[in-house]
Amino acid sequence: MLEIKNLHVKLEEEEKQILKGVDLTVEAGKVHAIMGPNGSGKSTLSYVLSGRDGYEVTEGSATLDGADLLEMEPEERAAAGLFLAFQYPVEIPGVGNMTFLRTAVNAQRKARGEEELSAADFLKLVREKAKSLKIDADMLKRPVNVGFSGGEKKRNEILQMAMLEPKMCILDETDSGLDVDAMKLVAEGVNALRDEGRGFLVITHYQRLLDHIKPDVVHIMADGRIVKTGGPELALEVENNGYTDILAEVN
Amino acid sequence: MRQLLIGDKCGAHTVPYIEVKNNSSRVEHEATTSKVDEDQLFYCRQRGMDEEEAVALVVNGFCKDVLQALPMEFAMEAQQLVAISLEGSVG
Repeated sequence: MLEIKNLHVKLEEEEKQILKGVDLTVEAGKVHAIMGPNGSGKSTLSYVLSGRDGYEVTEGSATLDGADLLEMEPEERAAAGLFLAFQYPVEIPGVGNMTFLRTAVNAQRKARGEEELSAADFLKLVREKAKSLKIDADMLKRPVNVGFSGGEKKRNEILQMAMLEPKMCILDETDSGLDVDAMKLVAEGVNALRDEGRGFLVITHYQRLLDHIKPDVVHIMADGRIVKTGGPELALEVENNGYTDILAEVN
Repeated sequence: MRQLLIGDKCGAHTVPYIEVKNNSSRVEHEATTSKVDEDQLFYCRQRGMDEEEAVALVVNGFCKDVLQALPMEFAMEAQQLVAISLEGSVG
């Protein structure tokens, strides 16, 4: 589904190479996790895949179901089924959460040549999805992420994901800033979306999120490359011994 | 006082003017001027809105406090005017 080949990326503004040849394939129905120390390029990878400004791809490719992601505008990637749950969800003052969701859902439907959801159908759908994430009516009315707690922001990301039903979900440190209960709630939201047609790329520092969202494959990223790939046991190894041993072994 | 700059042919001038007839009070004034935030636009676009739609949404949100104070029929019209006058002004 998501195929990344030999991806090299530098910052647009300065001569700083961040990704130095990333190879990664996420199959439909699988959950891949990427772990790695700070500054290894994990977040850059998620931004480059989703099309944020400020990065220059110098070599390599990234495709979603065969379509060249790097040639597309961010909104085209979204309509093609790529979703990024942000590490720091953005606040948009004055724009109601519900209005934002409805505009996003209908923009994607329009881009795919589907009919827009009626107000009634949308409302029914959003209430149903919000309920399972313990998002109340008040949170749906408030401006997007404004004054939300850390846990509310992350739950809101998962609500957007549930409403947009993307093919490929990238979660960028969704566990950061969450207490144990909030993390469970978020993980349940993610697990409810797992199915054979959908791929997940879960970026995290800690094994604890992977206790709740069980990955099929775990990758370790360091200095702009995937340096080791294994099963869920690799995450446990990191938890117990840190990255030092693995990085020493690789070098 | 808050200003939002749209396009590259605009500016904002703020002249603070406070009249005080009380010799024991302390007063302050404050003004901010900003462009449409890149992070907000990227967030909207990642969720599927095109650039114009994203700008209209963010700008309407910015103006909401003012628009809300208008009578209903003006508010609707003002909102549409904001969307129309933004067409092609991104950048």
